[in-house]
Amino acid sequence: MTPAKNILNYSYYPGCSLHASAKEYDESTRGLFKALKIGLHEVPDWLCCGATPAHNVDELLSLSLCAKNLELSNQVDGDLAVACAACFSRLKVTQHRLAENEEKRHQVAYALDAPLALDKPVKHLLEILATDFGLDRLAAAVQKPLSGLKVACYYGCLLTRPPDVPELDDCEDPSIMERVIGATGAETVSWSHRMECCGANFTLSRPGVVLKLSGEILASAKRGGADCIMVACPLCHGNLDIRQKEIEEASGRHYGMPVFYMTQLLALAAGVSTSKLGFGSMMVSPVSLLKEKGLL
Amino acid sequence: MSRIGVFVCHCGENISRTVDVEKVAAEAGRLFGVAYTCDYKYMCSDPGQNLLKKAVAEHKLEGIVVAACSPRMHEKTFRNAAKAAGVNPFLCEMANIREHCSWVHEDRDEATAKAIDIVTMMVERVKRNKKLQPITVPVTKKALIIGGGIAGIQSALDIADSGHQVVLVEREPSIGGHMAQLSETFPTLDCSQCIMTPKMVDVVNHPNITLHTYAEIEAVEGYIGNFQVKVRKKARSVDMAKCTGCGVCMAKCPQKKIPNSFDKNLGFRPAIYVPFPQAVPNTPVIDRENCTWFKTGKCGVCQKVCGPGAVDYTQEDEIVVEQVGAVVVATGFQLYDIGPKPAGSAIEGYGEFGYGTIPDVIDGLTFERLASASGPTGGKIVRPSDGAEPKSVVFVQCVGSRAREKGISYCSKICCMYTAKHTMLYKHKVHDGQAYVFFMDARTPGKGYDEFWRRSIEEEEAVYIRGMVSRLYQKGDKVVVMGSDVHIGVQVEIEADLVVLATAVQPREGADTLAQKLGISYDKYHFYSEAHAKLRPVECATAGIYLAGACQGPKDIPDTVSQASAAAAKVMTLFARNELEREPIVAKVNERFCVGCLACRKVCPYGAVEEKEIRDRSGNLIKVVAYVNPGVCGGCGTCQATCPSKSVELDGYTDEQIMAMIEAL
Ligand SMILES: Cc1cc2nc3c(=O)[nH]c(=O)nc-3n(C[C@H](O)[C@H](O)[C@H](O)COP(=O)(O)OP(=O)(O)OC[C@H]3O[C@@H](n4cnc5c(N)ncnc54)[C@H](O)[C@@H]3O)c2cc1C
Ligand code: SF4
Ligand code: SF4
Repeated sequence: MTPAKNILNYSYYPGCSLHASAKEYDESTRGLFKALKIGLHEVPDWLCCGATPAHNVDELLSLSLCAKNLELSNQVDGDLAVACAACFSRLKVTQHRLAENEEKRHQVAYALDAPLALDKPVKHLLEILATDFGLDRLAAAVQKPLSGLKVACYYGCLLTRPPDVPELDDCEDPSIMERVIGATGAETVSWSHRMECCGANFTLSRPGVVLKLSGEILASAKRGGADCIMVACPLCHGNLDIRQKEIEEASGRHYGMPVFYMTQLLALAAGVSTSKLGFGSMMVSPVSLLKEKGLL
Repeated sequence: MSRIGVFVCHCGENISRTVDVEKVAAEAGRLFGVAYTCDYKYMCSDPGQNLLKKAVAEHKLEGIVVAACSPRMHEKTFRNAAKAAGVNPFLCEMANIREHCSWVHEDRDEATAKAIDIVTMMVERVKRNKKLQPITVPVTKKALIIGGGIAGIQSALDIADSGHQVVLVEREPSIGGHMAQLSETFPTLDCSQCIMTPKMVDVVNHPNITLHTYAEIEAVEGYIGNFQVKVRKKARSVDMAKCTGCGVCMAKCPQKKIPNSFDKNLGFRPAIYVPFPQAVPNTPVIDRENCTWFKTGKCGVCQKVCGPGAVDYTQEDEIVVEQVGAVVVATGFQLYDIGPKPAGSAIEGYGEFGYGTIPDVIDGLTFERLASASGPTGGKIVRPSDGAEPKSVVFVQCVGSRAREKGISYCSKICCMYTAKHTMLYKHKVHDGQAYVFFMDARTPGKGYDEFWRRSIEEEEAVYIRGMVSRLYQKGDKVVVMGSDVHIGVQVEIEADLVVLATAVQPREGADTLAQKLGISYDKYHFYSEAHAKLRPVECATAGIYLAGACQGPKDIPDTVSQASAAAAKVMTLFARNELEREPIVAKVNERFCVGCLACRKVCPYGAVEEKEIRDRSGNLIKVVAYVNPGVCGGCGTCQATCPSKSVELDGYTDEQIMAMIEAL
């Protein structure tokens, strides 16, 4: 697609997970944007954002990785679109920290051996859809309304926190996910654990913690009457989807709760072919749910 | 003038530490027109002032420069000393070498050089000073009190008891404020109504108090001793002179289900109502928004049943003009509304607490109404959702307060104490109930306060958990409180029947608009600012306006009453005089040069500039010029800077003086 035909154009930072364990997030994002005629152009040669490990062991390393990515993103026109909640958080935190701290700015510039170029606006897909593209246009693009599907929108820890950094929505009481998926006709449930931690990368070092925390999230979604959970983070997805069976075994409760990436549901509603949405790679299969709702 | 004395002060070491005071005195001695100089450790002390007086006599001084602290600190002191020595006080000036010099510089040589410059400038100024006489203005010995909570009531009674007239203006249909809503009060647990309502009755019966309830301040003009105040008395729809307070109208009104905000909407009231049975005055008002007559033109029941014929649907708002000499602002506080963030607000909301959506999450004032013997439940503590007695109640302190990231950084001061009180009231009524309190710190300074708090833990068995709450959610008929206990470093969850949030104390809605009408200043939260945090805590920077109670900052009842009595004492001090002396630093118009463009009138922040017609003997208009009312002029000099024909100047700050000061540099 040539940029001229698009309504909006973005540079795109997929991040490591979207090239590996969260391929379906990447595919469905591309599918959705194509259907909405929003240009998405991957930044060449991007690096890992450093994720949680980098900033835990070396702040300078973490800031430098993200600063490098921001510099690289200038090769492509358009604000920087980010899908993964963790990459989004790291990039935003870097802009924030470096804006307020001159000494760190000097250190990072020294580490990169180049002048800093940090100004490109970093936007999460949610913000692009809700604000730049607009909910009205999104609703108008729906070909297969998700009416009848009860969705628990799960924000996790990073999308809106810390208070002054992501500037995506109210930090503790957001509604942007609900508004975006609501545009497809889906019903969003009100539930208690949408902002609680899933256990994140303790999934490797202390899986017991994750089984407990993610288990509470699944239980709360069920209590709220949800058919499925919608996420915007590969790590949350892993904990809620891949670990779901273990959680069920440990707690003796059955959930059978499909966990979708937001773009899987949105692309489905926008009429993108289901073969491009990666439903097959979900551990908790959504097939029977989607069939039941007449969406497959 | 050419015989000037320069007196350089060490201010202990405050000045002499960085400024070579002896050198300053020596250099000043070389200035043309300076006849005497000296330096001394504490110029403001008795020996210091005597030094000045003696020098005036011995050296026949005609002008004085005191090089010391800010004129805000001691100008008055030294001008009085000058006067006592026989020098016109306005020929005495301060050269500020402390705040403007020694306190802000480190390098001794540079600071000394600057101090010499400052002194030189002031010498040039004093040379050109004129002898001025203080302006006198009469004092209207009547006080206006805005707000009829305990603060306003206390001030009103004190001033009225001293024999002066008082006008009390209250926005609501009844006086009483928050204290009328409280159940029992810390630290002694006496019943709020029992100590409050007699004072309310005293107000309405006092021969020296005129009470305007259901009224607001429309406009304020004038200055200390002479304010004109327009009060809008909202249409009550009931004639106060005729109404006997029998209450038949309220009993017969068919609109019975209007939530009563006095009871935090837990109870109901009719469209014609008094907010609570002990209201003062005991005259109902018709809430026109909810009255059937005003909505549809039908009904009229209250008018039919009213024996004395007091109900009057045609009543209109009335404007009353009052002349007063002093104003006490006592508009109190409101509790922070803990719902989601309001659009455009600088303060974040607490959507995560579900206040307004989870019925059993209430605020402290609602708990007071539940616990109050005269409240909607007759003092029985129940859950709003189903009326059941709550067996576990979680109290959360510091909601909105001390939360910089949410927009309010101050401590609300009263909530630690009233939460301790709530746990006690709860335990006294629900013996098998358990109270939990999430708190950051327990702030209980005050006589008998810490003992009170300890009692809630030791005797009433409240469980205090040090930590914050992150979220509240409904689970079945319980409210789950998710929080942390920082002492043992774990996250805790409590399933509660009722959650009470101690929300931040904020100034009343509209506090800023009222301040603009009065010309007083307020802080970023809209609490009114006192003139000096320590030494002038009840006065505004605007003369003749005083502060009492929670409108100036969060306060409990003892502090509120103390401040209210202090404000009253200030008013009485003012009223002890028949005339006031004002500083004669006011603008004067040179009528010969004034072209009557009145640009000065547009810029004057005090509204002091008027139009004046100049006529010849036979009454023909020659020209219109500006006239500055010396009683109103605040001496800011804005007109002087604005006037295109240079025809208005401030006494003591003429262009000639300022130019001379600059040239001296
Ligand atoms: C839940 C709770 C429990 C408390 N418990 C205790 C306790 O046990 N012991 C204790 O010492 N303190 C207690 N307090 C504190 C106490 O309520 C205050 O100290 C006291 O009410 C302050 O009095 P005030 O007159 O300054 O303000 P308010 O009581 O707020 O009165 C202000 C008055 O001004 C009126 N007003 C406002 N704006 C205008 C306007 N523009 N024009 C005209 N009138 C206006 C209002 O209608 C009101 O009548 C408690 C407070 C709360 C919230
Ligand atoms: S006229 Fe209004 S206030 Fe009077 S009884 Fe009817 S509804 Fe009530
Ligand atoms: S008084 Fe206590 S509860 Fe209230 S804000 Fe201050 S510290 Fe928090």
